[in-house]
Amino acid sequence: MLGDILPNKPSSKGGQVPTRSADPSISVRGHTVDLDAVTHRYGTLTAVADVSLTVRAGEIVALLGPSGCGKTTLLRLVAGFLRQSAGSVRIDGKPIDALPANQRNVGIVFQNYALFPHMTVADNIAYGLQAHGRPRDDVRKTVERFLEVVRLGEFRDRLPRQLSGGQQQRVALARALAVEPTVLLLDEPFSALDKSLRLDMQIEIKRLQRQFGLTAILVTHDQDEAMSIADRIAVMNQGRVEQFDTPINVYDRPATLFVTGFIGTTNLLRGKTLHSSNGTTTIALDAGVQLAIASERHFAPGTPILLSARPEQLHLYGEASADRWPVRRRFALPIGPNTMHDLETRDGATLKIVEQRIGAIVDATGEAWCGLRTEARPSLFESSSQP
Amino acid sequence: MSVAAAGVAKTPARGIATLAKPAEWQLALPLALAYAAFFLVPLLLLLAVSAFEDEKITVLGFANWRKFFGDPFYWKVTFDTVKLGFLTVIATTLIGYPIALVYLGSSPRWQRVILFIVILPLLTSVVVRTFAWIVILGREGVINQTVMWLGISPAPLRLLQTEVGLVMALTQIEMPLLLLPLLSVMSRMDPNLRDASAALGASKWRTLFKVTLPLSLPGLIAGCMLVFASSTTAFISQFVIGGNRLVYLPLLIWQQSLVVYNWPLASVAALTLLVSVSLGVVLIATLGRRSKGYVHA
Amino acid sequence: MTSRPYTRRKFLAASAVVGSGSLVWRPAYAKGSVTAAMYPGTWEEAYRTHVAPALKKAHNVDLGMTPLFAVDQIAKAQAARGTPPFDAFVLDPGPRVTGIERGLFEKFDPKRLTNVGKLPAGAVDEWGVTVAAQVVGIGYNPKKLPRPKGWEDLLKDPWLSRLGMTGFQTTFGTVSIIEIAKRFGGSETNVEPFFTEIKKVLPKVAAIGAPASMPALFQQGQCDVTYTNTQTVDTLKSRGVDIEFVKPESGAVTFFTTVHIAKGSKEIDNAYKYFDTVISTAVQTALMQPPNNFVPVNREVKLSVNLPMANLDEMSKFVRHDWSKINPLRAGWIERFNREVSK
Repeated sequence: MLGDILPNKPSSKGGQVPTRSADPSISVRGHTVDLDAVTHRYGTLTAVADVSLTVRAGEIVALLGPSGCGKTTLLRLVAGFLRQSAGSVRIDGKPIDALPANQRNVGIVFQNYALFPHMTVADNIAYGLQAHGRPRDDVRKTVERFLEVVRLGEFRDRLPRQLSGGQQQRVALARALAVEPTVLLLDEPFSALDKSLRLDMQIEIKRLQRQFGLTAILVTHDQDEAMSIADRIAVMNQGRVEQFDTPINVYDRPATLFVTGFIGTTNLLRGKTLHSSNGTTTIALDAGVQLAIASERHFAPGTPILLSARPEQLHLYGEASADRWPVRRRFALPIGPNTMHDLETRDGATLKIVEQRIGAIVDATGEAWCGLRTEARPSLFESSSQP
Repeated sequence: MSVAAAGVAKTPARGIATLAKPAEWQLALPLALAYAAFFLVPLLLLLAVSAFEDEKITVLGFANWRKFFGDPFYWKVTFDTVKLGFLTVIATTLIGYPIALVYLGSSPRWQRVILFIVILPLLTSVVVRTFAWIVILGREGVINQTVMWLGISPAPLRLLQTEVGLVMALTQIEMPLLLLPLLSVMSRMDPNLRDASAALGASKWRTLFKVTLPLSLPGLIAGCMLVFASSTTAFISQFVIGGNRLVYLPLLIWQQSLVVYNWPLASVAALTLLVSVSLGVVLIATLGRRSKGYVHA
Repeated sequence: MTSRPYTRRKFLAASAVVGSGSLVWRPAYAKGSVTAAMYPGTWEEAYRTHVAPALKKAHNVDLGMTPLFAVDQIAKAQAARGTPPFDAFVLDPGPRVTGIERGLFEKFDPKRLTNVGKLPAGAVDEWGVTVAAQVVGIGYNPKKLPRPKGWEDLLKDPWLSRLGMTGFQTTFGTVSIIEIAKRFGGSETNVEPFFTEIKKVLPKVAAIGAPASMPALFQQGQCDVTYTNTQTVDTLKSRGVDIEFVKPESGAVTFFTTVHIAKGSKEIDNAYKYFDTVISTAVQTALMQPPNNFVPVNREVKLSVNLPMANLDEMSKFVRHDWSKINPLRAGWIERFNREVSK
């Protein structure tokens, strides 16, 4: 499947198109998008609070967060469907705040695709070109090219309702890309697709984005989707950006307790700091152990803290040791080649640990000791910063 | 109609399927019988009555048909009636469609307010509304006072008992019939479509003519058909606003059936009204479908 | 739970009573009752206020009313063919003649009315009894126009350009147009002169309206002179409208509203009691008072100053018409009127 959806030179005929860019597959000229202290209020509700982001040329940025976090509002501000209450949006450094949506040249793919139901596939793709006043011949050629790019040539005369979800999304993409937008906005583009199609479409979007050198902003509430497709992720909560970083850093170096809780699964253990020096903080957990944790942050001695450790960062041992704490095993669930253990610490906290089974069958209940894996790098947060 | 009834009735029928499973047409029977009793039979009676020559309904013959269709005056009355319908449709559309667009662009709270204002006229009787229009259109009415105050005309305009005045009144009276189906279709329209159109570079006008209008066409056509059928048969409004200067088929029917008791001629006029209204409705539907095809292309 | 079906049956019975009550106000447990067709509006209100209580008091008979215009009564009775939806008609002379021709009335015996002696001569016949008179003349706005003298003035300025007209659909409209036609050489059976004259001046006529809308048109100043009856003038006057009644030089026109027993009625005795009550001195007096403004037919009633005559006997000098001659011509006149005025 993947082999044939990645044509090496899908637009080798691009030279025939006498438009601004001679051949979009070669002109990988992305555009930058800057959000400058953007705030948006609906009445008394602040949907977006003082957000500043820089999206680099040719980069995919995911706006990730729970529903109501302001990510869709932010996208609509960039598209020009809404006018922000304060702050500025710039494309290639030029403010676009005064431009209405139809002059921003921003491509958008909606969650429900929003294809024009009364127009054929070809007419949908031609729509933006006609709106831009391209010559008839140019429109026809561009439509043909994009039908080929999204491999829907044989469906050109179908109506949207006669297409599958994946095909509809490809039409939506072709329609948005045909006008050569400066930036592609994707609003939950995969949520209406079933799981098996999702990956295909993610790859497809990634392919098109690379092919056209596009700058893209993706709104999603699905962390896996954001992790796999985005170059950088902006994790949003209550109208603010909590962290804006690469997927790996967001996962492994969460900046806030919210990020650590929202991305992936984590175990939180309560305790306080003893002393902190040279990037290492020694802490005493209520679970009954003292640990030295690598941390850039400096904590005053006696600060109440929360230790955030991913399930894969912990390990179960059969015997006690100085850097291990006792746990009671409550139950274990087999998940594929792994087993997930549900544990209770002495101070009543619940822990989840994922261990590879490697064929061994272990007793699922009784006493055990839990410790950090050697290479594990958990995160420390002041517990007052708990939301 | 009967298909819908059969569809609804289908579900409970499944529960007793083991006892007796009535065919769907049997479930639609009560409706079909009611339809036959209250529409088809009177219609046939009307046809039968029109086939008599004398007022006492004793002599068979087509004298009244010949009289009606052999007389240019009755042709003119029929033409005027249909024309009144189309003028009202045009006026309600020109005023109603922008209202619908305002509705479309409003917040949910304002949409409720607009909907209430649209429905408001339906809560007062058509007689009251019609008589109110005498006050508005009269020599000393609101419009003439405004016109004279602005100095547009030195003497009061004649609005009552003119086609213009009647169309104005009917436009207000029939407006809910246009707007209710139109707003219902418009509020079901995906708001993202208009955003998508704008993002693709389309101006507000292009979005209106290429996206909003074609997609709202089913509601607009339904509304226009209702307005046409209702305004051509609006006897009270036609007679009270139009007086005797404007003669339409409903007035003829009333005169013939209730003043001079010539039921056969009244039947001929009633059937003519029925047929011309139906033709008008079909024409609107056809025009609507044509223009839809045109917009598609 | 066992009482449920019973309750439901009661409910159904009750709703049936309510349902029928909304169509015809017919009391459920009357010792006797009679259902009368009644003109909607002023007539219905006045009869409910004055006739119904008097009938109940004098004869213990309840009066039910079906609001119907004269033409609708004829149409309904004719459609019902022998099982009339009401016991008594109330009709103007035109429909009365139609009713007689089509055999819609029971024969009438004046001797069964105790008050018959108080009526003027000719108020009863073998088909029914007169219960009210209408006096038709000209109503005008004295603040806007000089007083018109006769019917012919209506087609001259300054009255013409303020004239409100109706056609032949109503009795008062028909008799007024006949009177205008007479001024120009026409007669009861020849209204051609009217059409000749009106054709010349048609664009100047201020309003040609539906009869029911004429009071509103006058009130709104759409027209300032019109042919009308004393009852309408008095009613408008009481609402503060500037209007005066003029008895034309050729004489006011009068016609009578009569009541009749519907053929096949099962309440004939009660119908006579109803008629007798309506023409009684007390009821006729009450009906003459505002806001009813009826012209009485009982000679014992002391006439109101608003009426254009000192006593009922004067009315014998008023112009009257023979509706058996008018009726056959009326359909043609209506059609002609449509053609001539709708331009």
